[in-house]
Amino acid sequence: MGLIIIQVKKITFFLTAMCFAVASCTKDKTDYEAEIDTLVPEYHEFKEAVAVHSDGYDISIEALNGTFFKGYNEIRLKITDSRTNGKANTSAVTFLPIRNNADGSNVSCPHRYDLVDKPDDGYFSGYSVFTDESGSDGSWELYISFTIAGQTHTVKQPIPVQEQTNKNLNITTFTGKDDQQYFIALVSPQKPKVGENGLVAGIYRYNRPTYPPSGNFPDASQFSYTEVSDYTLQLDPRMPEPSMGNHSSPNNKDLIQQSDGLYHGVVNYTMTGNWTLNFILLNQQGQILKGTIVPTDFTPGVEGVKSELHIDILF
Amino acid sequence: MMKNTSISFLVLFLGVNANAQHSHVQNDTTKTLEEVTITAIAKRKIETEMKMAVSVDEFLASSDNISFIKRGAYAWEPLLNNMSTERSTITIDGMHVFGACTDKMDPVTAYVESNNLSTIDITSGQAGSMHGATVAGSVDLKRKSTPFGLEKKWGGAYQTGFESSNKQFFNLGNLSYSSDRFVADGSIAFRKAGNYYDGNSDVVNHSQYQKFNTAVGLAYKTGELSSVRVDAIYDKAKDVGFPALPMDLWLSRAIITSASYKQLFEDGLLRVWDTKLYFNAVEHYMDDTKRPENLVHMDMPGWSTTYGLASRANLKHGDYSSEIQLNVYDNLSIAEMTMYPQDRSKKTMFAYSWPWVTTRFAGLSMNNSWDLSAMSRLNFGGSLGWNYNHSKYVEFNWIFHPGTPQEKNRILPGLHASYQLNINQFDFSVGTGYGHRAPSVSEGYGYYIYNSFDRYDYIGNPDLKNEISYEANASAGYKNERMDIEANVNYFHIKNYIIGRILSLGSPMNYQSVGVKGYTSLNHARLFNMALNANYDILKHLHWKGMLTYARATDDRNGNLPFIRPLSYQTSLYFMHKDFGIRTSVNGDLAQENYSPEYGEDLTPAYMVWNISADYTFSFRNYKAVLQVGAENLFNEYYSTYADWGNIPRMGRNVFTSLKFNF
Repeated sequence: MGLIIIQVKKITFFLTAMCFAVASCTKDKTDYEAEIDTLVPEYHEFKEAVAVHSDGYDISIEALNGTFFKGYNEIRLKITDSRTNGKANTSAVTFLPIRNNADGSNVSCPHRYDLVDKPDDGYFSGYSVFTDESGSDGSWELYISFTIAGQTHTVKQPIPVQEQTNKNLNITTFTGKDDQQYFIALVSPQKPKVGENGLVAGIYRYNRPTYPPSGNFPDASQFSYTEVSDYTLQLDPRMPEPSMGNHSSPNNKDLIQQSDGLYHGVVNYTMTGNWTLNFILLNQQGQILKGTIVPTDFTPGVEGVKSELHIDILF
Repeated sequence: MMKNTSISFLVLFLGVNANAQHSHVQNDTTKTLEEVTITAIAKRKIETEMKMAVSVDEFLASSDNISFIKRGAYAWEPLLNNMSTERSTITIDGMHVFGACTDKMDPVTAYVESNNLSTIDITSGQAGSMHGATVAGSVDLKRKSTPFGLEKKWGGAYQTGFESSNKQFFNLGNLSYSSDRFVADGSIAFRKAGNYYDGNSDVVNHSQYQKFNTAVGLAYKTGELSSVRVDAIYDKAKDVGFPALPMDLWLSRAIITSASYKQLFEDGLLRVWDTKLYFNAVEHYMDDTKRPENLVHMDMPGWSTTYGLASRANLKHGDYSSEIQLNVYDNLSIAEMTMYPQDRSKKTMFAYSWPWVTTRFAGLSMNNSWDLSAMSRLNFGGSLGWNYNHSKYVEFNWIFHPGTPQEKNRILPGLHASYQLNINQFDFSVGTGYGHRAPSVSEGYGYYIYNSFDRYDYIGNPDLKNEISYEANASAGYKNERMDIEANVNYFHIKNYIIGRILSLGSPMNYQSVGVKGYTSLNHARLFNMALNANYDILKHLHWKGMLTYARATDDRNGNLPFIRPLSYQTSLYFMHKDFGIRTSVNGDLAQENYSPEYGEDLTPAYMVWNISADYTFSFRNYKAVLQVGAENLFNEYYSTYADWGNIPRMGRNVFTSLKFNF
């Protein structure tokens, strides 16, 4: 009987050891959620990006995470009376970003010139689509004007514009077949997920000035942009890496304009990795302004052909 | 030995074991408890006519309603009644184990070894719903289990051998101890094989494998009529080549554990109550870096974890006996795909091919047997199950099925009945069945699972309807002192038959893929299987055995279904005299005329293979030993069968030798 008990103990020990030995996996599972989180930051909170004190008023400009990035930036502007610390009774706020290039030229970028008053939210709303980050070749300044009690105030404020590391908020600039300059800026999603994502983009055209500049610098008519209306942005997302063989996805929807002025569509990402959003931009008449049809063949080992109008993203 | 009443209706299989159907089990009153009653009817040991040292796959292959999809020399996928593993329940002692490979490189049968099994029960159709919902039937791998209180306390066997074609060495050992209160079983097995050679004497690259398997079982008698038992199997396969696939197996491991309590009752309606809790975990890691043709590499690890409960009660009253089983399990299946270019530090994609899919099942099954007279018996039963699926990362399923629910509940009913009649030397049976099955994890939730046979990427559909089977079967047999002949037929009409169909909107992803197929339900499919078995004792020492099988299966447009066995035959002669035995067999298939080009099949020509073996039994001190030498595919025929993935050639001439000691 003693022998048996020893046997039992031995075997029990062996069993226990075996259970422990195999309880842990040989290879760790991918932490899919954490991986996506670290790869793509996502900002929801508006914070003050710049504050200016001028003529007894405090002007605060807020952007997502308190930073101006290259690409689309939603802007919230608040003006308070420095003495009372209360909200100033402001009207007619204008907003103009100007880039002073190292070669002495001045350019702007798509923006909302006349900010929209949102009295319920307590700010003026606008946007600016910075076409470049600040650097040795140029820097950005904001020209703001506002009217309080019939008196117009103007403010000039240099700002830093940082590089956008999130490729999902990329921007592309091009000249269309109508010889006009266009801008397409991705607005959403900041952090795509596998599956269907609402894809939002702003599409803008530069209004070439018809008159030479006049008055004090800057003359807003020289730096005017339009949100184009009733265009169509056709979408064909693909994975361009040679190993992915021009892989695509079903159930994508072309981007069309909605009441917010932005273009909304659907992009379906089948997996994480590098994707290219291939676009074709059509005007109101359905004429192609830019973009080419990409091959749909599955071509493993060959880098995917991209449309001449495309934005690369990664998640 | 306790030959329990429960055995009598475990015996009612229409399938593999014709002999078992006729074994009448007396109900003696010995109180010694035998742990697994099935051994009492285990007429078939784990060895084939030709070979005494076989792998589990080789053993299963000798059954007339099992065929195999072969992707190499290892881990063959068993097809029951010409239906793939989704349609059958494959269990180990009633425990559900699910492979962790999306490409079916690890059927459950790959995680056991012949020396830890006592027998394999194959039950055709709905009669096999005892362990859960099924369409094709069930395969239950029965582990070895030594009875209590054997006269011989210690027992064991050691087997070693060599096979020439793939230079396979194997060492199998098992040991058992039996006392009145305590029983222990242990086994250990090593196999190592290189690449095999085909019939043209060309090497088939990437067909090597290494396997290690060990099992322990301990039972303790807690009372006169009760016992507890714990069991564990650990299996590890490493460096396994799959010549038919674009990748190999780097490592797979499984731990399969259970604890059970068994209570017998001497009288009353309830005779046996056996409850088992179990846990098993499988991990499976593919490796495509050994193939120079792969310019990109994809890591495809898979994990499958199952917890379960199986509780069985046997009832008997007069001519009526019944077996009731409760099956509950929870399985989590995870499989990942990560692709790399040549530079492995860069990752080009990540996706789940099984997005953390939970399957929960709870079901009650019942088999009843009623002896209407000394000549006739009615068997009837059914099962009712609840099947639940949950996909954690449902976004992958939403790509092709937008907005599909994350969870899905299904009710799976099943019914079956058969009537057996025994008139003098003739046996007849007719039966019918009806049952549902839920889609498998791959069929429901699979995502870009590459099938290298038809070269399509497969996408699961969570909204698939239950597959519904209507089944009829019949058998007739005749037996006298010298001969035994039996014919079995079955017919399945399967509604909502699940199969892959080309998706026009999909874009392929895997490197060698040509398109995307989605699992869809055909309106119906029909399968017909037939088997004819015969034995004849020509002389006292000379025995003949023959087997003929035929199957035909069509979809709702009368097109052929894939992987359906053409007419196949096996005939063998066995001569024994004193301690010598010599056997020879011929087996083959006719040409596969009814192939399915839609699923990547082409016409597989007929083949015929001749095998021969001889054995000598001798005593060596107190040991009984058997030495066997033989050759498979004696004439080195070059062939591949209808179910060889990608038409990879089968093994050429293979000389095998093995030596077995029993003590």
